[in-house]
Formats: sequence, structure tokens, C-alpha cells
Amino acid sequence: MVYPSNHRTIVEDLMKGKFLLSSEKAFASLKENEEFYRQFFDASFGLELRMSSEYAYLLSSVTNETLSRSISIFFAILCYELDRDGKNFIDQLQYNEFDLETIERYFENTSYIDLVKATKTLEDAEKRKTLIESMRRRNIVERTGDDRFVFTPAYKVFTDFALELAQKKRAERENKEAEKQIDIWQEQA
Amino acid sequence: MHRAEPITILRFLINHFDAVKELYERQSTEGAIRKEVFQEIVKRHGADITNQFFDYKILKQNGEDYEFRKSYYDFLEFILVEFRPVLPESIEKYYSVINDLFRKIKQGSHEEKMILEARIAELAEQIREFLEQVEKNTLRLLSESRELKANADKIDYRQKLHKASFWIDYYILPLNKILDVNNPHSIAYKLAEVAEYVNQKRLVFLDEKIRQRFEKLYYMLIQVNDDLIRNSKILTNELLPLIERIRTESSILSGWIDFLKNPFRIETPPLLKENMFTPYSKDMYYHTKEFFEQFEIQDDIILKEESVELEKWIYNKAAYKEKLKAQLPVYNFFEWIVNELKQEFGTTDTEKIFTLTSLIFEEDLKVEFQESEQYIETTQSQFKVPKIKIENYGLPE
Repeated sequence: MVYPSNHRTIVEDLMKGKFLLSSEKAFASLKENEEFYRQFFDASFGLELRMSSEYAYLLSSVTNETLSRSISIFFAILCYELDRDGKNFIDQLQYNEFDLETIERYFENTSYIDLVKATKTLEDAEKRKTLIESMRRRNIVERTGDDRFVFTPAYKVFTDFALELAQKKRAERENKEAEKQIDIWQEQA
Repeated sequence: MHRAEPITILRFLINHFDAVKELYERQSTEGAIRKEVFQEIVKRHGADITNQFFDYKILKQNGEDYEFRKSYYDFLEFILVEFRPVLPESIEKYYSVINDLFRKIKQGSHEEKMILEARIAELAEQIREFLEQVEKNTLRLLSESRELKANADKIDYRQKLHKASFWIDYYILPLNKILDVNNPHSIAYKLAEVAEYVNQKRLVFLDEKIRQRFEKLYYMLIQVNDDLIRNSKILTNELLPLIERIRTESSILSGWIDFLKNPFRIETPPLLKENMFTPYSKDMYYHTKEFFEQFEIQDDIILKEESVELEKWIYNKAAYKEKLKAQLPVYNFFEWIVNELKQEFGTTDTEKIFTLTSLIFEEDLKVEFQESEQYIETTQSQFKVPKIKIENYGLPE
């Protein structure tokens, strides 16, 4: 049997929990053989392949919840602080190069400092560095120099999560308001 | 009253432009200039110029307040590039004006020349005004969006989200609709229709003067079309993505803030556990070798034959039948078997009980099942069995 090109890289990287990025050679082969890999990962390991135009990753019923939660809190605080600093955080995540010093400044001075201290993977500079290294291993950040890095498009998994959360909350609020309005009408009637 | 020379008015505006500008800004934000505000501004700029504002007909009184006359207000708005955004509903009104004029031009092309000429001129004027409104709105929306993006006022994300949604829903999308040349109800579509008609008439209309009017209108429409396309492009390619981005960004931030309220209760995006699978492990060879090697080291296995003493019992059916027949009638067949075996072997073996049970199938024995049941015990177990009566079949021998 002939496997698609870069088969080994595709399987190895994705199964390490990495995001395969559209800038990588293997991504084109994965995209071209999307259906094959969808079935391959499902039949062989019971894993779900998720693909966007910019990245691909695998999912299973067993997930690394701690890492995901730590990364989510990291992005939440970073976006919040960037916005407070008068910056467009989407532009920053997409195009800006970060250095650990800037990150430290944001995390040390954040109003969410209690949460930072209460989160083991974020509690001090060393732990935050380790978390960024975990993100690098997963291809969520790319190192550009000593203590310097950029975010890859995989950050969108987390910003999309925040967006969905906002939409869900908005729908809940609207439903509540609608219910309240109906109650008022009923009372008036 | 003697009307001032235009150059005098312009010189006045130049000399006191700071005061004029400040007054304009107050009217822009507050809708009018309160009397005391006017006096305070004029006083602050250190000249007694109150009368000139009214003599030159720059300002007029409106109740207790003052306001710029429309021509001056528009002029200042234009030179300061500070256009008030016009509601698309106001721009939309040009549709009916242009449509009416166009219909009348088509229907009355054979009527009085002068009215036709006037209508063509009015149509051109309305189109010019329409274009101007669109351009002013696009410029204003662009500057609003850029300001919102730069967030110089450092407004919070909720206000930002609100503002972005406001500009999109009430200004940008409706304006985009007006400029959509594929929408038969849009002004852009109507102008394309006008251009087609005017293009014919500029070539075939009998009266030369009218023909020239059509010709002029036609070239103006070509220019208008280009300008509308340019504005539409600014809206769809620059403004809408820009403001949509601000809206998305504010939504994301609102999601993050909700998340941070309860970060350990909300389910976060699933991530695959690292090293859960290693299908291409570099140590695969060694792992496999190690796995198989464990079977290579084997202890000697000694097989021992177990010598089990088996009791040999040969069932002598005839002898047991003889014994049974001798004791007939037997009212409890199983009791008889148990007694027989106990007498002979001292124990009741299950296998022997079942073997002797076969006697009930002998043809010359009459078997009668009783309703009651009983338990019998063997060396191995206990059985629940029926009471069976055995008699001789037929007459006794």
C-alpha cells in the first residue's frame, strides 16, 4: 500500500498532540488526503481529526484538561491586559512578536493576580515559561529567539472558544430578558 | 441693510477662525449654541465680534440659542472634514427623487424643451448631492472606525462592542445596500438604468441643446458610477472588515471576562493527551525484542502422571432387577435404591443411583409416580426426586 507523502510526520506530530500548521509541508498532504486521514485516525485509534484552513489537530475522549485550562487562562489574561494597554489583541496575537519580559509585566501587574497565583501552571515566572514551552511543543507558539516568540494560528482554537462562550452568554441573557418581558406583559394583561 | 463684501466675510472667518471652529464644534456636539456659551467663547477669544456673526448672516437665532446658517455649517463641515454621519434613511430619499425625475424625463421627452432641460439639470443636481452624502458618510464612518480601532479614548470593550455593532447595523450595512448595483431597489441600480437611457438620448435626441445636456449628464453618471464603486469598495473591503474585527475582538474579550469569572468550572477546548500513543516509537524494536525475550527464558517443565485409583463397578442389571422383583411392590423406588447401595457398598454414589434408576424402564415393571417428593443424599450431593411405586406388570407369577 502507498501512503500519502509525509505520512509519518503527519501521524507522529498529530499524535503527539501537536497542531499541524498550514505553513508546514505535511499540512498540504493532510489536506489533500483529509478523508483518508479522518478514517485512518478514527479506525486505528478512535481519534477525531479537526481541520481548519490554517491548522489541524487530533481529539480523543481522553483530553489534557489541565493544559487546556492553563492555556485558556493564559490567553484570557493576556488578551485582557493587551486590551487594557490600548492594544488590539487580535492584531497582537496575529502579527506581534512577544518577549518573556512583556508577558511577565502583564502577568505580574494584572488585576487577576489572585487567579494567577491560584493556578499552579501560572503561579510564577518559571511556571509561565514552562507553560509557554508546552505551547511551543504543541505548535501554539513558535520561538523566534532567546525568550522571544510569536503565536501560530492555533491560538484561534482558544479565541474561538471565548467567542462561543460570549455568544452563549449573550443568548442566555437575551432569553432571560425575553422571559422577563413576557412576565411584564402577562402582568399587565 | 448693506450686504457685506464676500471678501470681508471670508477675511472675518480667517481672522477669527479659532472662535468659529469652537462654535461649530459646540453646535456639532450639542445641536445648538447656547447664548451664554456663545458669549463665553467670543469673550475668551478677546474681540467684540458678536455683531459681525449676525451682520454677515453666519449665525442666526433659534429661540434662546444660536446656530450656524446651513451654508456656513456645510462649508465648515467640509473644510474641517468633520461630517456628521447621515442616516442611510436620509440618503435613501434620493431614490424616489431620482426615480420621479427620471420617469418624468422619459415621459415628457417630447414636451416643452425648457422643462425637460430643467428636469435634466435637477436630476444631475440630485445625483451630485446623493454622491456627496455617500462620500461624506463613508469618510466619516472610516474615521469613526479608525478611531474606535485606535481606542484613543480607552473606552471599555462593552462600549466598543456596542459602538461597532451600532455603526455596522445602522450605517454601514444599509449604506452598502444603497450602493449594491445588483439590488433592483438600490439607488446604484437606478442610476445604471438612468445612464443607459441617457446614453441613447445623447446620441439620438433631435434638439442639440438637450442632446448636449444628456451628454453632460451621461459623463457625470460615468464619473458617479466610478465614485460609487470606489466608496462601495471602501465599505466592503476596508470598513466592514475593520469594524467587524473590532466587534469580534470585543466579543472575544467579553467571552474571556466571563470565563475568568469562573475559570475552573467552564469546560475548555479539548486537547489530546501527549504521548498517549506511540505508533512510531523510536524504541519500538527494543520494546518488541524485550517482549519476545521474556518467553525465551523458560524453566524446565516436569509432567507427572497422576495415578488415580478408580473404583471399578460393573452394573449387573439382571441381578438388581431380580432383587427388585423379589421385593415387589416397592412403594418408594429411590428409597429402595439407597438402601440397596448402602447395604452393598456402605455409601450412596450418585453415578450408581442414576444407573439403577434405569430399572424403571423395564417393560415388565409397572411404574406409578406419586405426587409427593423427597430428598435423597449421595456422597457427592443432594437430589430432589419423586416418590415412585413399582409393581409387577400383569398378574403375579
